[in-house]
Amino acid sequence: MSYAYLFKYIIIGDTGVGKSCLLLQFTDKRFQPVHDLTIGVEFGARMITIDNKPIKLQIWDTAGQESFRSITRSYYRGAAGALLVYDITRRETFNHLASWLEDARQHANANMTIMLVGNKCDLAHRRAVSTEEGEQFAKEHGLLFMECSAKTAQNVEEAFIKTAATIYKKIQDGVFDVSNESFGIKVGYGGIQGNAAGVGTSTSQGGGCCG
Amino acid sequence: MIEIESYDFADDVDYAASQQQGSQSIMRSNSGKMKDPEGGEVVYVKDNVSIHPTQYMSERISGRLKLVKQDDSLFMMWIPYKGQNTNTRLSERDRNLYTIRPLPITDVRSIRRHTPPLGWQYLIVVLSSGLAFPPLYFYNGGVKEFLATIKQHVLLVRSADDANVFIVNDFQDPLQKTLSSLELLGVVPVVAPSSAAIAVSPTSESQEKMAECACDTNCGSEFIERPKYKVNDPARDFSIQLLEKFSLVTKFARETTSQLFRENSGENLFLSDGRKPNHIPALPAAPPKLPPNDVQKVSDEVHVPEDPLEFYKLALIWGNPRQPPLSQEEWGDFLDSEGRVVDSEALKKRVFYGGIAHELRKEVWPFLLGHYDFNSTYAEREYLRSARKEDYEIIKLQWQSISPQQAKRFTKFRERKGLIDKDVVRTDRSFSYYNGDDNPNINLLYDILLTYSFYNFDLGYCQGMNDYLSPLLFVMEDESEAFWCFAALMERVGPNFNRDQSGMQAQLFALSKYCLVHWQLVELSDSPLHDYFKQNDCLNYFFCFRWILMQFKRQCADIYFSSFAHHRELRYEETLLLWEVLWTHHLTEHLHLYVCVAILKKYRNKIMGDRMDFDTLLKFINELTGHIDIEPTLRDAEALCLCLGETGAACIPPGTPPSLPLKNALVSSQLEDEILGYTILRKVIADQIASAKEDDLVAFELVFRWEW
Repeated sequence: MSYAYLFKYIIIGDTGVGKSCLLLQFTDKRFQPVHDLTIGVEFGARMITIDNKPIKLQIWDTAGQESFRSITRSYYRGAAGALLVYDITRRETFNHLASWLEDARQHANANMTIMLVGNKCDLAHRRAVSTEEGEQFAKEHGLLFMECSAKTAQNVEEAFIKTAATIYKKIQDGVFDVSNESFGIKVGYGGIQGNAAGVGTSTSQGGGCCG
Repeated sequence: MIEIESYDFADDVDYAASQQQGSQSIMRSNSGKMKDPEGGEVVYVKDNVSIHPTQYMSERISGRLKLVKQDDSLFMMWIPYKGQNTNTRLSERDRNLYTIRPLPITDVRSIRRHTPPLGWQYLIVVLSSGLAFPPLYFYNGGVKEFLATIKQHVLLVRSADDANVFIVNDFQDPLQKTLSSLELLGVVPVVAPSSAAIAVSPTSESQEKMAECACDTNCGSEFIERPKYKVNDPARDFSIQLLEKFSLVTKFARETTSQLFRENSGENLFLSDGRKPNHIPALPAAPPKLPPNDVQKVSDEVHVPEDPLEFYKLALIWGNPRQPPLSQEEWGDFLDSEGRVVDSEALKKRVFYGGIAHELRKEVWPFLLGHYDFNSTYAEREYLRSARKEDYEIIKLQWQSISPQQAKRFTKFRERKGLIDKDVVRTDRSFSYYNGDDNPNINLLYDILLTYSFYNFDLGYCQGMNDYLSPLLFVMEDESEAFWCFAALMERVGPNFNRDQSGMQAQLFALSKYCLVHWQLVELSDSPLHDYFKQNDCLNYFFCFRWILMQFKRQCADIYFSSFAHHRELRYEETLLLWEVLWTHHLTEHLHLYVCVAILKKYRNKIMGDRMDFDTLLKFINELTGHIDIEPTLRDAEALCLCLGETGAACIPPGTPPSLPLKNALVSSQLEDEILGYTILRKVIADQIASAKEDDLVAFELVFRWEW
């Protein structure tokens, strides 16, 4: 399917916070409590639309365990967006955010858009991290923030799309050189140049795109 | 194209002599055009060129060798004479088998001339596919003219390593082009191995060996400073020997091919994929080609040859035929009356080639893993089982007796417990042995993993261990036995789970090193895949991470779709087979690395053709999950292993897991282990740098990739 842009996403965070479930909920719209744990990396993809432009998200779902950090680091390269996930019912997964962030800052490009996701918000009765704390952390570190539930699908769609919208805005603002793929963005043929079969044949109206 | 002044045959003593004597061969110049019945122009013809299909010189098939020019292409053909076989044992079928139907010279990689002190000169023609025709003996002379004629039509140059090897059309390397264009007539050979070929030679030891037998090529006749390389590079020689070994087995290849195609296409031999070559318009079909990837199709039909030597040679190309699994009856034969395994090597070999019948795994695995001694008797094992069961219970009690109050002050324990708790419910749940709510086998996984993390507190628990344990428990069907087999297995693959990933890094490093040598020696290429990986930042071989970490579990075609729509069921069949083969350590302790290479080789053209970058390649490898056929892959891996033999094994540094750490540096704690791993790797990298040539940055790239 043709797309205007392809964004590479990476999902990171401690083991068991629900990274694979978030991905599955977003790509397949289902919750699967029983699945094999992730070793290395798994891939998912979905098309979304922003500003009437078809955008393909290619999502890398990584293994969370500490031991695999050195390999996970090699996946950051060329990611345009990241979902940094913690589990609101397990305090330690929130405490580890700083070290994840450090990895991301060190191994991803500086303009990567990071969405902090507090997952499992359906388990409010077992909450160990307050919404305010999450908000505060995000604010301090310049991250987007959202609490979600991969189980009920609450805010899952929003978390992925809001991240994409932010990346898209950065493109519009000329933050990225989209021809440089190290920013995790690929320009497709659908809708931007309008030179291929598929969506839209007119050039984009927003000024300053097609950088 | 640059006009290249290459080797001139006029100064070749043999050639001059043959010219003086007046050779019987006919070299036809353009003025004396002769038409071949098939429509081409015959530019060379030689009678009494023969092959010896067996080791007996008396058995010979003679024929006529021709070079035919059609349009701008040159073809080589050799047609045996009808009914003139020296030995009645050689049938008409043999005649057909060996016939070289018009072969474009561009398909030839190299031609090697042999000039024995006594006897006739012969040539071995090696195809770009790596296969070679049987030696062609020139009973009436004419070798020089043959080469000279070819040289008139295509680029033919002498190899730098061996004056008797002539390479056809091998000028991809601009340096070589330059060198050859600067070459004085025939004084110095021109085709050099690329500098990279020397940069990463197997090990420091073999470097030394190479150095010992190397002669310096810096003779005064050279006009330009050339990179130093070794004329008698044993590695290069080895590859030529190897190809010649291939030439000896072509009989099997051809027999098989002809068997396969006889039914469909009568006398005509088509390309092995059934395609008729379209570039030879008026001439009959080309001889069978057996590119490595297509070999498998053919090899399934190969009968086991009776001659063990032939058998071995055959294995060099595509591995030995796989056998049915070890049966109960055969297993009984391996045991003496008291239950000792009489010949453990024979047993391992048997398992290597066929695996084990499922119902026997429970009995045989503990031997393969080293939990039982091959020399133990039934009685000793019975005793060991009960003693080990008690041991297990004692270790298990260590964590079971931790009270909630104690746990509160024991973070490490809580963390491990939490992690294992989360992971056992994410382990092979689509497999009936572990599916469903409150499955007791899940609890067993939990108990064993937590007990192991106390038994080996330094290594502890890491994700992926659960993946090793689940098939073990399924096979052993006993908690304590599964535990001890798991512990024995961790003695081998435990380094995969070192916190600093040093065990994994060491294996990936060995893999990259092996691959480089493999492409250069076996593929006889300037390792395009290696260069490709280098350009695309794939040299760390991270894309093989999961294969190595879990020894291909979850990669094999273990997932079956049941008759219920969308219901996937996981079986372990393929994984269990692969594991037991790996565990035999027959041929090598590192067969899993050869399996990686076998798979990469299979998809090499796809990887390069699709111009995959690191991300795409990783995704591609991920998507191979469930599509890796174990039997053919094992054969390929075995062939790789036999092919490069010691040279290949030398690429894998000592101490690379699952090999035990070096003896003189046995250490106890994991911390020291990590330091050791680091030191070994440092040494390996240092060796690599030492042997690197200026333009080869491989080693340096590797150094920078390790994140310690």
